[in-house]
Amino acid sequence: MKRISDFLGRLRQNRKHLRLLPVYVVMFCLLAGTARAGVADIISFLQTISSTLQNGIGDVLGKINKIKGTVNNLHQQVVWPINAINQAKGFVIATKGRYLGIFSQIRAIPLNSATLANPSRFEAVFRSANAGNVGQVQAAYAQVYAQVPPDTDAQPQQRNMIDMDDASAMASLKTSIMADQASGRMLSLADTLETQTSTSAPGSAPILAAQAQIANLENQAYLAKMLAADLRAEATKLAHGNAILKKSAESTRNLRLQIQQVVSHP
Amino acid sequence: MKNRILDRISNISRRRLALTAVAVVLILVLLPTSARSQFGLDPCCAIISAGLQSISGLLKSVVAKPLGTIQQFEQQAADFEQQVVYPAAAINQARGLAAQFQGQFAQLRQLSQIAVASATLPNPQRLEQALLSRTVSAIPNVSVNYSAVYGPVMPATDAPQPVRDLVDATDAEAQAAMKKAIEIDALADLELQAAEQINQQLQNAAPGSAAILEAQTSAWLVRANAYTQSAMAELVRVRSIELANQGAQLKFSAGHTVTIRDQNGQLMQQGVR
Repeated sequence: MKRISDFLGRLRQNRKHLRLLPVYVVMFCLLAGTARAGVADIISFLQTISSTLQNGIGDVLGKINKIKGTVNNLHQQVVWPINAINQAKGFVIATKGRYLGIFSQIRAIPLNSATLANPSRFEAVFRSANAGNVGQVQAAYAQVYAQVPPDTDAQPQQRNMIDMDDASAMASLKTSIMADQASGRMLSLADTLETQTSTSAPGSAPILAAQAQIANLENQAYLAKMLAADLRAEATKLAHGNAILKKSAESTRNLRLQIQQVVSHP
Repeated sequence: MKNRILDRISNISRRRLALTAVAVVLILVLLPTSARSQFGLDPCCAIISAGLQSISGLLKSVVAKPLGTIQQFEQQAADFEQQVVYPAAAINQARGLAAQFQGQFAQLRQLSQIAVASATLPNPQRLEQALLSRTVSAIPNVSVNYSAVYGPVMPATDAPQPVRDLVDATDAEAQAAMKKAIEIDALADLELQAAEQINQQLQNAAPGSAAILEAQTSAWLVRANAYTQSAMAELVRVRSIELANQGAQLKFSAGHTVTIRDQNGQLMQQGVR
């Protein structure tokens, strides 16, 4: 009993050293518990990973795999089947071969019909489809339709009208020469485009399609220019007829005045 | 004294011995299983090893194998797209064609700008210059230049009102057609400019962007067709007025015939009296 009380008394005296004892005890208890729980957790963790790999990742990968295969098949067998692509290319080549010769033959048929020397020369110039010949139109035209009469032979308004008629006719003829040349170039561009299409791929075809549309726009612009020339020619024709009416009214007035003069001075 | 000292020493060492013994017992009691797993081989290691091997096997069969197949599919798809759908050579060839066309278009534009004026007298030259100007600012000059060549509407003293009306309507249509021709020429030039600009873009286009350029060109085509249609409408009007004039001439002739017949009748009646 005495020993116990002595021991307690000494403990009280060495309280300073014993203060950390409960901390050590708790720490050891906790360490031991964690270590024991870690084994079970690792097993459970491994099982979870295994399950995730099989069900979570494996299944999804399998599905992705299936989708990829389906999409690839769709692309290769439905959207861009090589057979269909080659067939289309072959069709382009065949169509070109079938029609190009006929087109060339039709275009090569001469349309010239004049029989006399001057008209033949004139016709040759304006059917040449060569813009380099535009400069020859005026002289060839004058050879067939003559020049504006000198001021001693016609009244100024008549000369103006004749000159305007000639100018309008010649401008239209010159424009037609240039349009023929442009048309020839456009046909050649169309041939090139078709040839290129026969070696194209689904990916390059949209570029060629855009190119064809641009050429189409150019064509439309030249067509508009031809229409403008036609409008000018028609307008000149209309103005000419109208001017003759004006002239006849003027002539009638002059005639009336002359008759009045004759009647008033018998 | 010596005994007391010895007794005290024995008391202190006994106390420390007891403390140490309590601590050792506590450690031994509280750290049994975890201590085993941390030092040396243990059945727990075998479990972990088996688990890891199972995971490794699963990674190989469930993950790596499908991934390998996916990679194969991806490779096939990439090869197919690169060799069949979007071969770089074909795309570059198409772009090269656009560059080649650019030069052709420029030549055609130069061709369309060759002068076609042919008038030789001053007044017709002025009118022709306005008509072939391809500039809309020249449109206001058309009326003045037109009158200088074809004359104005005759005064009321020189012709009956119906004839003056017809002449004025005809002049108006002729001038409108001339003005429309200038407009159409100017618009055609703009279309050519646009076509060349789009073509320039096409030289750097990709298969995906070419469709956008195609759509834009299609829009321009719709516009161009609309202008062509308006030019056609003007052409129809000119020809209609021409036809109407021919009909009016016949009507005037019929009117003159009636007048002459009436006057002859009056003269005959005067002669009878």
